Amino acid sequence: MSVSRDDFSIAFRSALLQRGGAQKFSILSLIISAIFIFFLDVYGFTAVKMARSFINDVVFRVSYIASSPSRLMPNLGKGIAGHLNLKEENEKLREVIENYKSLDLNLEYLTNENKNLRKVLNAENIINAKDIVLAKVLVDRNSPFLKSIIINKGTQSGIKKGMPVTQNNYLVGRIVDTNYLSSRVLLLTDLNSRIPVSLDADSSQAILTGSGTKNPKLEYLPEEYEFKEDVNVFASGKERIFIPGTPIGKTTEKGEVRLYVDPNQLSFVTVILTRNNKEQF
Amino acid sequence: MARLNLLNKFLNSGPLLLLYYLSISEIDTNLEKTFDIFTFNLPIIIIYFWILKRPSVMGTGHIFVAGLINDVVMGFPLGISSLSYLVVCFVSNYVRNKSVNTTIASDWFTFFIALIFANLLFFSLLNNFSDIVISYSKISYNTFFTLFLFPIFWLLFSLYQSNFIGGQDA
Repeated sequence: MSVSRDDFSIAFRSALLQRGGAQKFSILSLIISAIFIFFLDVYGFTAVKMARSFINDVVFRVSYIASSPSRLMPNLGKGIAGHLNLKEENEKLREVIENYKSLDLNLEYLTNENKNLRKVLNAENIINAKDIVLAKVLVDRNSPFLKSIIINKGTQSGIKKGMPVTQNNYLVGRIVDTNYLSSRVLLLTDLNSRIPVSLDADSSQAILTGSGTKNPKLEYLPEEYEFKEDVNVFASGKERIFIPGTPIGKTTEKGEVRLYVDPNQLSFVTVILTRNNKEQF
Repeated sequence: MARLNLLNKFLNSGPLLLLYYLSISEIDTNLEKTFDIFTFNLPIIIIYFWILKRPSVMGTGHIFVAGLINDVVMGFPLGISSLSYLVVCFVSNYVRNKSVNTTIASDWFTFFIALIFANLLFFSLLNNFSDIVISYSKISYNTFFTLFLFPIFWLLFSLYQSNFIGGQDA
């Protein structure tokens, strides 16, 4: 019995402390270092924050270069397929242009009407969204736990935490982490994402909650609210971060929202440099 | 001769290069786009297998750095992936010290213990010391598929080892 206990302790100690060959460091020393780094990072020491920001910028760029082969292959396939479907696509685009022409006229009318109504209401223009930054998506690694992307613009371009991120005017997420040359965008599909939205003709208020799946869910709706298919969902702007009326997606009968923008297909996004806002954490 | 040595060195570094590449690139093992619940943790399989079979091809220092890089890319608190990788390393080292001959079944069973320890540490630290919310069903799927796919990678890595690297370390 005592021999067996000795064996256990020898193997245990050896596994923790053994060095030699490729093992330049013992596992114990590395575990202690990892715990030390973890707590320094979690409790947000300024020096660690700055170091992390610098490491992030470097790693994201290296990651972007390292991922180029994987990005090139699907594009090659798409290019060939796109070439073959050129005629069909052309016809579809013609139809879309015709639709847009008619919509443009409607838009002009609605814009004028909106301006007049604002004058009547003497509404305060809370958010000035003239300043935007176009950013390229560096890394969109698909983690099972976190749904986020890295963009190539950071505090150098005036980006702050909490700023909304859109693509083609459709909301895709918000900035959650900034470095000097890069930022992390938390997508609407992430489990940590919560956004106040309004929907339907009654402007019902709800919270759009990421569920980690493709379609986020609507929560905190009025009691006995019945979900209908294809109701447009917009950002309500109540938190004074997102611009009111930014389109997000359409509802399903299950109470989920089909997003207008596929979060897995982002290449360029727009960060809206909202003013009159402090950093949102 | 020099060219052959260089090739041997490159083949020996293969698993380590794969680990670094998985940590830093967009290439990942989460095929959620095709199958909603299918995610698995390949770095843990790589670390466990190579520390068990040929520790000379995978230094613990490299594993530590790969974990840090993974944290930066994924947006986790720094050091958390390193810790979970090192726990796997520790269990693998322990099994190597205690056993003479291992089979795929024994490796699979001990890998399960390593995986449970590593994931338990990872998610309890994330839950208690970070604001990041994680889905427990995703954790379960991830753990299940990692465990389920271990034998396949065991065979692939064994083939790689016998063809390009050679026998077990002393």
